[in-house]
Amino acid sequence: MSPLLSLDRIGKAFGGLTALTGITFRVNPGEILGVIGPNGAGKTTLFNVITALVHATEGEVYFDGEAIGGLAPHAVTRRGISRTFQNIRLFPTMSVEENVMVGRHCRSGAGVWRGVLRTRGQREEERAIRDKTRELLDRVGLAGADPLQEAESLPYGHQRRLEIARALAAEPRLLLLDEPVAGMNETETQEVFRLIKRVQSLGVTILLIEHDMSLVMKACDRLVVFNFGRKIAEGTPGTIRDDPQVIEAYLGAGEGPEDA
Amino acid sequence: MEGLNPYHLQVASFILINVILGVSIYVTLSTGQLSLGNAGFMSIGAYTAALLATRCDLPIPLGIVLGSLLAGAAGVLVGIPSLRLSGVYLAIATLGFGEVIRAVAINWESLTGGAVGIAAIPQMGRVLLSMARELGFPPDRLGMRPNQVVSLLVFLILLAVTALVVAFFLRLGRTRVGRAYEAIRLDERAAAAAGIPVTYYKVLAFSQGAMISGLAGALFAHSTSFISPGDFTYHRAVEILVFAVFGGSGHLLGPVFGASFLTLLPEALRAISHYRYILYGLLLVLMMIYRPQGVVDKPLLRRFREVRPSEDP
Repeated sequence: MSPLLSLDRIGKAFGGLTALTGITFRVNPGEILGVIGPNGAGKTTLFNVITALVHATEGEVYFDGEAIGGLAPHAVTRRGISRTFQNIRLFPTMSVEENVMVGRHCRSGAGVWRGVLRTRGQREEERAIRDKTRELLDRVGLAGADPLQEAESLPYGHQRRLEIARALAAEPRLLLLDEPVAGMNETETQEVFRLIKRVQSLGVTILLIEHDMSLVMKACDRLVVFNFGRKIAEGTPGTIRDDPQVIEAYLGAGEGPEDA
Repeated sequence: MEGLNPYHLQVASFILINVILGVSIYVTLSTGQLSLGNAGFMSIGAYTAALLATRCDLPIPLGIVLGSLLAGAAGVLVGIPSLRLSGVYLAIATLGFGEVIRAVAINWESLTGGAVGIAAIPQMGRVLLSMARELGFPPDRLGMRPNQVVSLLVFLILLAVTALVVAFFLRLGRTRVGRAYEAIRLDERAAAAAGIPVTYYKVLAFSQGAMISGLAGALFAHSTSFISPGDFTYHRAVEILVFAVFGGSGHLLGPVFGASFLTLLPEALRAISHYRYILYGLLLVLMMIYRPQGVVDKPLLRRFREVRPSEDP
């Protein structure tokens, strides 16, 4: 099976600070791959590299067999990679509906003139965007929210879902979720877990950064573990749980020499 | 027809030109770019139209279109390198651009007439009036004096153009492109990650703003029939910015209101002579304290819409 995403010796340095070193792993189509590691391990930087918000200083990212390292962020999204952010980044004063409609941008095409002249094609496109938006709001469990209210007035948990809806609007083949249940209670976490599984069942491959270990262990097919900008382990949740290096990264060194 | 006071019509015409300028700064601001170069783009439009009419005898509408297009093209040229700048840095760079244009206008005397400027630019109203006379429609049939007719014609042309410009951008705001502009203004990185080509839209908005400034300049040249570098100084750039700051930059109607109100105010206060600009300044200071987002904002518009529902579902 050829990988959907493959990272080849990715390195990223911010000036003198090395955030990522020699990151190599593959993401298989259809799987949920968890990316875990202590704070500051480089997980979000990795997401930023994949989505081209920052460019790697070394190595290459391949999506569906093609190098995408040099593309602009919107071009990466267009190819089929969408994301959410660790600190929610909605468009706060735009409406709930408009936030999702923005995500539809790369799957529609009416420009200035067609928009201003309200051509038939443009009106049909707008209707299609709106229908798709309603469908997505429904899918992420926001069917009950007023689509015309400002996004920032939504409760926190709903904002997270709205961000997922916006990401799904671009019809991604690969969805990057950066701590989707951070700050949520048990019930909300369960709902997001079901949502993630539902998205997976629609054929979307998912890369998931998360600190909630019970969610990670339950949701992910495989895990990669980061520490200090390096990949220290990779495998199924079962093997990762017992990996001494992983335990050390999370709990600190036990006995033994402190040269790690 | 005695009620048609040419002076009032002239003030109304200046309001309309300023409304177009207000739209021009709004368009660039709607992608989060603060441009103080609009006086410079305005002068490109004004000089282009004036020169094409006085030297090449080109029809006025054609000159106005070409003037706007040239200003828009200059907007692309300035907009692309300016992408690396944002906030005050962009403001300073564009302000510098405006001053460069003015320096060119002052020093390239053979073309622009230098500091004296260009006079005897065909005035839209007068040209139309003489055309009407040739076709056998003397204005006295309507019971109006020629200068009334001239002012009225200028006003009506400007009203039509302003209405078109405002309608254009009101409509654009409610499309895919308008949403892209707003998303970029609110969060550029999130917009890029959501699939919006940020660079393209920022340059597009910048050059649209420049083109609309150029349009205002070209209309200004053919309304006053005299332009000089003094019409396009730093003060003009700041005045345009104040339209948006006072009126509110969150919605197109903000700068439209700001331009109308702030152009009318000094005229309405003529009776108290030079105290009026003290009042003008005081008003701006009070605005910054009590309503920093400007007069018109989204909640205000929503309240209006609740009173009178719009036709959109």
